[in-house]
Amino acid sequence: MEVLKEKVEEEEAAEREAEAEQAARKAAAEKEESILDRDDLIDLEQKLSEIEVHIPEVPVIFTKSSIDTSALPESYKTNTAQEKQLLKVADNFAHQYSHLCPDREPLFLHPLNECDVPKFVSTTIRPTLMPYPELYNWDTCADFVSDFLTMVPLPSPIQLPEYLFSPTSVLKYQKGNCFDFSNLLCSMLIGSGYDAYCVSGYASQDICLMDLTREVCPLLRKPEEAASQKEKVVPKRYTIKPPKDLRSKFELAQKAKKEAEIAAQEEKKRKEEENKLLELDKPPPDPMHGLRIHAWVLVLCGKREVPESFFIDPFTAHSYGTTDEHFLGIESIWNHKNYWINMQDCWNGCKDLIFDLGDPVRWEFMLFGTDKPYLTMADQEEEEEAADEDDIEILDKEEDKNFDMPLSWVEQIYISAKDFESRCPQGRKVIQYKQCKLEKWAPYLNGNGLVTRLTIYENADCRKVVEVKEWYENREDFLEMRRVDKTTHLTTEYFKPGHFLALREHTYKTMAPETDRSMEFYYDTRVDGLEKRTETPNSMTEYYKDRADYLVYRHVDYGIRLKKFSLNSPDTNPRPMLKITERFDRNLSKLADDDVAERIFVVSDERIQLRYHCRDDYITTSKREFLKRNDVDNKGNKIIMTPDMCVTYEVEPREHTKKLLFQYEMMMNLKNEEKISKHQVWESELEVLEILKTREEEEDTHNLTVSIYDTTRNEKSKGQREALERQAQEEHMRQVEAELDYLAPFLVQLPPGEKLTRWQALRLKDECLNDFKQRLIDKANLIQTRFEKETQELQKKQQWYQENQVTMTLEDEESYLTYCSQAMFRIRILEQRLNRHKELAPQKYLALEEKLYKDPRLIEYLKVFV
Amino acid sequence: MIRLYDTIEPNVIDEELLKLAVEEQGPQEEAGQVAKQEGINFKDVRSLQLDFQNILRIDNLWQFENLRKLQLDNNIIERIDGLDSLVNLVWLDLSFNNIETIEGLDNLINLEDLSLFSNRISKMDAMDTLVKLQVFSIGNNMIDNLLNVIYLRRFPELRSLNLAGNPVCENEDYKLFVTAYLGDLVYLDFRLIDAHTREAGFAKYQYSIYELKHRENQMQYKLEEEKANIAELEKHKAAYVEYLNGSYLFDNLYSDDTEAAKLAYLPGVPELLETYKTKFVSICQNIFDYGLIQQEKRTAEVDLFYECLGEALSDNRDLGLKTINEFEKKHVKMLHDIRNANELQVVDAKMSECAEEISHLFDILMTYEMQLVEQLEESINNFERNIIDMVGTFVENVQGLMAQCRDLENHHHEKLLEISINTLEKIVKSEFDEDLPDDVRALFSDKDTVVNAVGASHDIHLLKIDNREDELITNVSNWCSGIVDKVHTDEHNRNRKRVKEINQYIDHLQNELDNLDFGDLLD
Repeated sequence: MEVLKEKVEEEEAAEREAEAEQAARKAAAEKEESILDRDDLIDLEQKLSEIEVHIPEVPVIFTKSSIDTSALPESYKTNTAQEKQLLKVADNFAHQYSHLCPDREPLFLHPLNECDVPKFVSTTIRPTLMPYPELYNWDTCADFVSDFLTMVPLPSPIQLPEYLFSPTSVLKYQKGNCFDFSNLLCSMLIGSGYDAYCVSGYASQDICLMDLTREVCPLLRKPEEAASQKEKVVPKRYTIKPPKDLRSKFELAQKAKKEAEIAAQEEKKRKEEENKLLELDKPPPDPMHGLRIHAWVLVLCGKREVPESFFIDPFTAHSYGTTDEHFLGIESIWNHKNYWINMQDCWNGCKDLIFDLGDPVRWEFMLFGTDKPYLTMADQEEEEEAADEDDIEILDKEEDKNFDMPLSWVEQIYISAKDFESRCPQGRKVIQYKQCKLEKWAPYLNGNGLVTRLTIYENADCRKVVEVKEWYENREDFLEMRRVDKTTHLTTEYFKPGHFLALREHTYKTMAPETDRSMEFYYDTRVDGLEKRTETPNSMTEYYKDRADYLVYRHVDYGIRLKKFSLNSPDTNPRPMLKITERFDRNLSKLADDDVAERIFVVSDERIQLRYHCRDDYITTSKREFLKRNDVDNKGNKIIMTPDMCVTYEVEPREHTKKLLFQYEMMMNLKNEEKISKHQVWESELEVLEILKTREEEEDTHNLTVSIYDTTRNEKSKGQREALERQAQEEHMRQVEAELDYLAPFLVQLPPGEKLTRWQALRLKDECLNDFKQRLIDKANLIQTRFEKETQELQKKQQWYQENQVTMTLEDEESYLTYCSQAMFRIRILEQRLNRHKELAPQKYLALEEKLYKDPRLIEYLKVFV
Repeated sequence: MIRLYDTIEPNVIDEELLKLAVEEQGPQEEAGQVAKQEGINFKDVRSLQLDFQNILRIDNLWQFENLRKLQLDNNIIERIDGLDSLVNLVWLDLSFNNIETIEGLDNLINLEDLSLFSNRISKMDAMDTLVKLQVFSIGNNMIDNLLNVIYLRRFPELRSLNLAGNPVCENEDYKLFVTAYLGDLVYLDFRLIDAHTREAGFAKYQYSIYELKHRENQMQYKLEEEKANIAELEKHKAAYVEYLNGSYLFDNLYSDDTEAAKLAYLPGVPELLETYKTKFVSICQNIFDYGLIQQEKRTAEVDLFYECLGEALSDNRDLGLKTINEFEKKHVKMLHDIRNANELQVVDAKMSECAEEISHLFDILMTYEMQLVEQLEESINNFERNIIDMVGTFVENVQGLMAQCRDLENHHHEKLLEISINTLEKIVKSEFDEDLPDDVRALFSDKDTVVNAVGASHDIHLLKIDNREDELITNVSNWCSGIVDKVHTDEHNRNRKRVKEINQYIDHLQNELDNLDFGDLLD
């Protein structure tokens, strides 16, 4: 579906573009008489770029009319007596409030629900604990709500809404305004144990309209670097003093001064630029600033180990401190038990508010007697000040003495597993952040496993794409993330562990071999411990880790491929290797002078260079260079080894290394090693080709994996389960068949539909038993006849044998003997069967009799005789 | 294989024989040619095979210091001898000889594989030092005591044992016994020991093995305890206060003192002695504790010094390495340029430039070294001063405490003298009515004898205290001068070594440059 939709959109876009182009062409055609010079062209381009097509935004409307109220339960459509009383109390409360505070806005107390019934806001909260462990914490909960619902702006940004729908309807239609959002989120948070409240108040434009374009995308926020405080090294008693500085102090001071000046100027410039940028970033002044109504959620500290009270904006699921400047004022707050009015002054936003709901001076409560979150002792003076408001309280107290908040009228909130998984409406959501766009999809919605895409633009006008990041899930090739840098055209793919190629990261421009690329691997799962391999057109570098031979680095320089007349594919004509450099870690079981640190095979020059590790207290390292010369001396003998073929520098000259034999053996070894290294390089090249091939194939097929526990998606297990079910059913059928009704043939003889008489029943039983008896006897007879037949035949055969014994050939005799033994076997078996049958028959008979006595159809008639 | 002496003349291991063997068994083909050109040093030989040579005596093998594998099988050797210098030997084959006792293997601590097959050995013995032994073959010998197998329990690595062909093998329990007592053995008589045999053997000898193990564990425990004691004493010795915790010194005072023992019979003396002892011992304990604390301080100081020294050296080394690294990069490029240059003038110019670079490098490296020497000298002097101060205070305080000891002794002496003279007076007046042994009573014949006896005792005590003090002070001063000397010599050696290294390196570079020159001319 989604793909189709996208296609349609694309087509539309293409059409629009075509139209624009046509218009431009028309304009161009008009000008065609005059010759277009370059300036005109540029001008044209500019003008064309100014022409833009905007798709008119259709505001999302979510009104009562779009809700099907017919299927809603009774509690939605009517008010119970208790609720009615509550409404009266609320009205009374509102009257007193408007009387005492005439200049304040009316309260959000009992809006209409989807069935046009006034409901008190507290009863609209339905605390529910969700069955998903992911929804147990506030952050994930808020994320879910913000993802799951589509935001609908308030009908009027400065007026309280007339309606407040139940959380169930909101969930069903996946749409809502800020009050719906807060209501749902609050229900879920209270359900999972938080001390959460819905807040009705005022907020900034960005928050009210869910405008995130000035917000940095959370995916781009860099984790704050842990300030690594370097411990100042305390000079120890015997630490050597630094050598004397012989430079002029005055000159140094002058220099430092100049540098400081330059730095200050640069700093100034930078600050100016920053300020400019900040200016640009600032939102235009909002004419309705401070009047925009918003609802959000307040979580108080205390429960669920929340250390500090905070706000959650339900649209974005971001948490803010209670002093955040986005929130401009609070009218009232409520939870499922009570309703409080803020009596504190909000001239400074929410910065000075104190969330001590037990303090009646700051928070005027509606119902008395519900547990107050706090009760810090108010000072004497404040109490005196509060004296003039006592009358309200007294009234409240009288009325509410034994009045509790009625239970919620809303049905239990239920989120299906499918909805929970797909999260966003239709499984898709787009959010515009500052300089970037974030798209989300439900898993398995896209065929290639794409779940998130982040497009980063060059600047705020979102035209030029700088970078695209895509996150994948459930990919069979374990691809986790792909980053495309549009400026350098580099693609980087990140993989999860588990792939048979052990690939971790792959950075490339093109998939063609022998180009710039870098691959990183999960080295601990690879046999060869390869960690990274980078390539350029004429070199390849590999980094290893944790190898038994201590190899950590190998670098190959390639030359230009020689032209051959045969096939020019890389397989048959490899690039010539010019130089192979290998580096090794220190092997502590060897002496430093015997432990090679670097080994360079200069293939083109037939030279081998060795550099050894440095000894602990030395500053130079031993070196050795072999020149491979296959010369012939003046007598025509082959020179095997001469001292000048090996140039050595040793830190500490040793006896045995000077020997020619030692050098010869070492050279032979190295020649061997060179071959091995070349082979390994060749294998690496092959591996790169293979990886590229596999990656291409995988990219083409992009299969998704399905967990074996995912019963709805896993085709195989689904098939298996269905097969099992079918099998079980068949098995059941067979069992039913097996339990043949032994009475059926006799019952058929009787007239159908009539009740049995006792006599009939008796007869039925007897007939049945007789029949069974007959069958048992028949069976015995059958066995007997077979037995007799077999013995007769045997006797005949024996007779025939005795008569023809003399003239018989060996073969005949043999066949006779085999026949005899077989026949005897059959006879014995038959005998056994007969005996067994004789033994079992009475038992079977008795068993049937008992069964008949217990048969539900006969039991009432036969009881008497038992 | 036993041959009679008169059939073939016994052979002697001489140079010729060895040379031949080495050449035959040495490198072959091209490598052999190279080796022949050069001659093979016996020191470099790793394995040597001297079988079927009719050798009677093992001899002249001392040059083969690095020998790993030695085969002397099928000879007529009668004694194991002359193998003491082959410390690196891993594999030794002495099978088919006439050896009667195991001996002369004590130095071969690296031996892993030993074959004494087909000899005349009747007892496994004298192999205590071969802790790495893994394979031991002693088949076809004359071992007749099954209990001798227990000797092999001391080789924790032993996995393969060959005993076949010995009289013990006729014992029907032989297999079970061996598997039971040598639990780690995997192969017996070149056959894998199956689990069944192992179980059966274990079941049979369970209790005796438990007992054996218990005994072994006890021995081990005792050894460890002894070791711990020795370690503790070493620690005290390092603090120069050994035997000062407790009454050891006090007991020592009285150990050779016969007069004091006699005087102890006098009334009032035992009590006096008792108080004296407690006071004395408490002072000794003070010295001991103080000594330990001071020792800790001294080690901390030395550690700190070495830590700083190490830091300075490693910084310097890093600096040197960095410099050389940078130089080498440049140098390689330069050499490459010179090789590829085609005009003689350019070559000359480049060569001189290169030589200049080398001398510049030399200057830099030497400057670093000189700087380090100066810095270290200052720091070492500082350290020397501190350590001498520290030892000085230690000695002073100990002397103070020892003086207290001496005061105590003097005090005690006076008291003793007083008691003695009182006693004498009583005896003279015949008022003394307690029983005294005869030799004690003999002391109180006249005043001089008594005073002399008490004085002699006093002198001995003072002498001993002085001796202990002297010992402590000399030891600590020796340590002090020793460590200071060591620091100085170490630094000197380090400096020499580094200078030598730099020179060598520069020489090498210059040589390389010169050789390059020749090469070019030749081309």
